[in-house]
Amino acid sequence: MSEPKLDLQALSISYGQDTVVRKLSLSIPSGSIYAIIGPAGSGKTSLLRTINLLSVEVDGARVDGKVLLDGNDVLAPGVDRAMLRRRVGLVLATPQPLPGSIRHNLVFGPRLAGPTRRDELDALVEAALRSADLWAEVKDRLHGPASALSGGQQQRLCIARAIALSPEVILLDEPCSGLDPISTAKIEAMMRSLQARFTWVIVTNNTKQAARVSDRTAFVLSGQLIEDGPTSRIFTAPADARTADYVEGRFG
Amino acid sequence: MSGRLLTPVRAQLVARTILWSMMMLALTVLALVLWFVLRRGLQHVDWAFLSQPPTDSGRSGGIFPILIGTLEVTLLGVATSAPLGIGTAIYLAEYTKGGRLTRAIRFGSECLAGVPSIIIGLFGFVLFVTTLGLGWSILAGALTLALMTLPLVIRTSEEALRAVPAAYREVSLSLGASKWQTIVRVVLPAALPGIFTGLILGLGRAIGETAALIFTAGSSLPHQVPRSLLDGTRTLSIHFYQLAREGISADHAYATAAVLVLAITVINLGSSFAMHRFMRRYG
Repeated sequence: MSEPKLDLQALSISYGQDTVVRKLSLSIPSGSIYAIIGPAGSGKTSLLRTINLLSVEVDGARVDGKVLLDGNDVLAPGVDRAMLRRRVGLVLATPQPLPGSIRHNLVFGPRLAGPTRRDELDALVEAALRSADLWAEVKDRLHGPASALSGGQQQRLCIARAIALSPEVILLDEPCSGLDPISTAKIEAMMRSLQARFTWVIVTNNTKQAARVSDRTAFVLSGQLIEDGPTSRIFTAPADARTADYVEGRFG
Repeated sequence: MSGRLLTPVRAQLVARTILWSMMMLALTVLALVLWFVLRRGLQHVDWAFLSQPPTDSGRSGGIFPILIGTLEVTLLGVATSAPLGIGTAIYLAEYTKGGRLTRAIRFGSECLAGVPSIIIGLFGFVLFVTTLGLGWSILAGALTLALMTLPLVIRTSEEALRAVPAAYREVSLSLGASKWQTIVRVVLPAALPGIFTGLILGLGRAIGETAALIFTAGSSLPHQVPRSLLDGTRTLSIHFYQLAREGISADHAYATAAVLVLAITVINLGSSFAMHRFMRRYG
């Protein structure tokens, strides 16, 4: 296997006295869809939010260990957070458009860093919306409020917004938790079609979703990695009894 | 079913009736005040009253220089407290994590809010009028009003900033914005309606202020429009107070009061209109 895109090494995350992730190591290959599953409160979201340092900046998390992105530790001091977040996009569980128009949402990130010319931004907006399979639905109302979109459209807008920065990795935190099956299917199809361009890491409570969409799956319990491997194996021949219980819905 | 006098349905009815009566009482008092002032004052307000300087201690002539002086003192005061107050609020809401320092600043600002305006006026007199040598002037009055409205601006701005959903900040950071870019481009625009409301409340308090200004902007009657910020002025409410207390002219006192009330109404209506237009564009 080639060098992993993301390599977590003995990663621990704690908030005050509360350690939510304990010495967890896992490797995420480049260009794959990687699912992290596990019951609520097992530290999946903290894990995701640590990869782009949001947990450290916003939640006041203390972290220990290494998070290597292309071999460079993002937890090392002096890392340019803005640059890191352009390379590693994050989509939150609840679709969260910024106030303002659809176009405003898409150009917000790119305008901070690079192009400000109108035609460049327009091209960027169209490309990102096409990637997220949203262009046909919104092309006539780019200047309309993003909040007027349906929940599923809003979530695809949030993904398009991340794509507009041309990231290398996109982190999805329960992206379909509030969506109907059709919207969910659209997002899963989109991830598949864009697999060559990005490395996807998806945290999900929905084991069926992990089974449908991902190449590799990691099962996390109480902040520790129980096992990870190719999705087909995790769901058919798990090595650990707890994994078997969880994926078969016998957990608890 | 039997025995219970206060069923939920009845309790609901009683509560609604009581709340409705309270609302009506509050509205009635407000309407009475407006009606009383406008009925007695409005008949003496005409273009000449608005556009001419006062003569004979205010017994005749108009209020033009006073009107201009009032606007200058008030607007300059709020224009001074706005950046200070909003800056403090940004610091409190975005850069501190509820530590001892934050609590100290907030406590201090709440104490400042409780200080009677005549004491603030006395302080303004000592600091601006005598120590800094500004004399009785528009500038001294405006700075005093800035001190007086500062706690209100801090409080309302801080609340408005805290009401901005945390997710907006996370989204902005995730899209590669720095903390400062997040504040300027996401948090402040979202909080603007609330901040603006606070400024308008401050303006309303400042424009009707009497006690804090007698010592600082002066109360001598101007016969011409103030030429510089170091000129003294008399504000509308002080003019009203002098005319009424000295028994100079009840008609002109009420006319002045009517202008003051109308000015406040115009400011409130105008700003809420502006806010709605802003919201429709950016909301």
